[in-house]
Amino acid sequence: MPLIEMKNIKKDYFLGETVVHALRGIDLEIDSGEFIGIWGPSGSGKTTLLNLIGAIDEPTEGSLIMNGREVSRLSDNACSELRNKTVGFIFQGFNLVPVLSALENVMLPLQIKGTPMAEARTKALGRLQEVGLTGLDAHRPSKMSGGQQQRVAIARALVTTPSLVIADEPTANLDSENAHLIIDLMRALNEKDQTTFIFSTHDQRLLDRVKRLVRLEDGRIGNGGAASC
Amino acid sequence: MRNKRRSFVTLLAIGVGFAAISLFRGYTDATYNALRQTAVRGEGLAHLTVAKQGWFEKGKLDPQQYMFLEEDVQRIIKLIKEEPDVLVATPQIMIAGLVSNGTVSTIFVAQGVIPKEDKIIKGIFSSYGPIKGAALDDQKMYGVEMSRGLAEFLGLEAGKDGVAMAATLNGQMNAMDIQVIGVYETGTDMTNDKFMRVNYGFAQALYDAKMAEKVVVLLDDWRKTDSMRIRLLDKLTRAGFNCDIKTWNELSIFYSKVKAMFDSIFFFLFTIVMIIVVMSTVNTMGMAVLERTREIGTLRALGLKRRGVNLLFALEGGLLGLCGSLFGMFLHVATWAVIRIFQPTYTPPGTSISVPMVVHLVPQVMVVLMACLIVLSLMAAVIPARRAAGQKVVDALWHV
Repeated sequence: MPLIEMKNIKKDYFLGETVVHALRGIDLEIDSGEFIGIWGPSGSGKTTLLNLIGAIDEPTEGSLIMNGREVSRLSDNACSELRNKTVGFIFQGFNLVPVLSALENVMLPLQIKGTPMAEARTKALGRLQEVGLTGLDAHRPSKMSGGQQQRVAIARALVTTPSLVIADEPTANLDSENAHLIIDLMRALNEKDQTTFIFSTHDQRLLDRVKRLVRLEDGRIGNGGAASC
Repeated sequence: MRNKRRSFVTLLAIGVGFAAISLFRGYTDATYNALRQTAVRGEGLAHLTVAKQGWFEKGKLDPQQYMFLEEDVQRIIKLIKEEPDVLVATPQIMIAGLVSNGTVSTIFVAQGVIPKEDKIIKGIFSSYGPIKGAALDDQKMYGVEMSRGLAEFLGLEAGKDGVAMAATLNGQMNAMDIQVIGVYETGTDMTNDKFMRVNYGFAQALYDAKMAEKVVVLLDDWRKTDSMRIRLLDKLTRAGFNCDIKTWNELSIFYSKVKAMFDSIFFFLFTIVMIIVVMSTVNTMGMAVLERTREIGTLRALGLKRRGVNLLFALEGGLLGLCGSLFGMFLHVATWAVIRIFQPTYTPPGTSISVPMVVHLVPQVMVVLMACLIVLSLMAAVIPARRAAGQKVVDALWHV
């Protein structure tokens, strides 16, 4: 059974009286352990597709099945639980809570899950070590570089050991060196834990490292479809 | 809570509001206490007044019918004094008439009391005693204490003689010599130019009646007033006396009116402060929600449920309420300490002497007020929190 199964997914946005067709019928299956890049020009629907896969948005039409569960039929609470336990998010702007330390940021998903504090702390410290941020756990995001902040975000995305990590342009705000570090890190974690990574990107360095590439054009999977690399 | 200036202003609003209510309540508590003391001891009402049934309504029209005979008075006092909580039970009689210095005369109202027992009722107020001369004396039948305004009007002072005139209960005019043995302050302008205090025996003699209009009862604790009333009424009824018993607060019109006025002001102030607190908290939390929309989106993306977001902001609101209340408590204690140190005085309207400003610390009021403000802040925070939690995750995440 695939981890994600999308059938004829459509998504429309309404800008006043104008309807914008962001996705025009996507059929896509994603298996566990994949390292997928979604690419395409601006406005092609990459972010919309990731939002739907991450269960933070609802399709206008179509069916999205994650781990055998139809996401659109889930209640808001069930969706929240699904995201907490199954999905990790890495955002282009890192989206760390500025008043919390790196450790506290990483502990957040575990605290939401209800994990005891000591256990959450241990797991979060382990993830921070894994992403190479040992000793920086007490630092606030404002005292860290972009690369370090993104690594905190990766640690946060992985701390609940999700089966799926969604990353929206994870290297867009990083310099070349940090971008390489992040790409290597994500790839290593994918290899090590068989965690599925789905990300949107324009970054050729990242595209060169993907196992599978999905090209979006005008809200559809473009010519060549989902190519394996 | 992250916008320090805005949080500070909200804390200030809650704190000052708390202090305003709490200080006013502390002031009214002290005022009620002082008014109670004034009514019970200053006015000599004691805690309970026992009179023949109908006296309070019709006694002035037909005093003879509604006054106790002397032998009944003694029996009633004996029955009342059997109660262990009773400190004093003493007869009183109010007389009214004309008082003269030999040249001019004016009206007077006098309270006829047994000086030895009246002194116990007066308690600490007896130390304020006559401002000139001596207090009433059981041995000086014709000695009177005269209010300052009355004494000034008649040009009388301690040691000077005068004449008191009144109609007896039978309607005959009666006149008796008096000697002013003391001049005192009644405490209010309304009574300071007409009141006198005389011996109980003198009052009976002027009215030519061996009767008393009431027996006043002083208890060891004012909180026992209501229960004692019920007990005494039952006891006296069973002994064959048809009595009415009124409490000090029923008889002290001044106390009731002042209390009603202060209670209205308190309610008004309380309402205004609560509105300010709610509006400040709603504004602070509303702005916080607006500023932290992306953060809320991130937390929701990480799996926080809507009720989690509600709880988060409600707790922040509650925390604002708690900190604001603690700040207000500090303001109250600081003001209370300043008042204790400097002991300012003021002259309330209608009184002839200045009184010290007293503000009580009333812990029960503070606790209730704190609970009110916390709950109110918490609820005020829920309004914007619900708005925040109701947003679609994706909209919150990309909010600019």
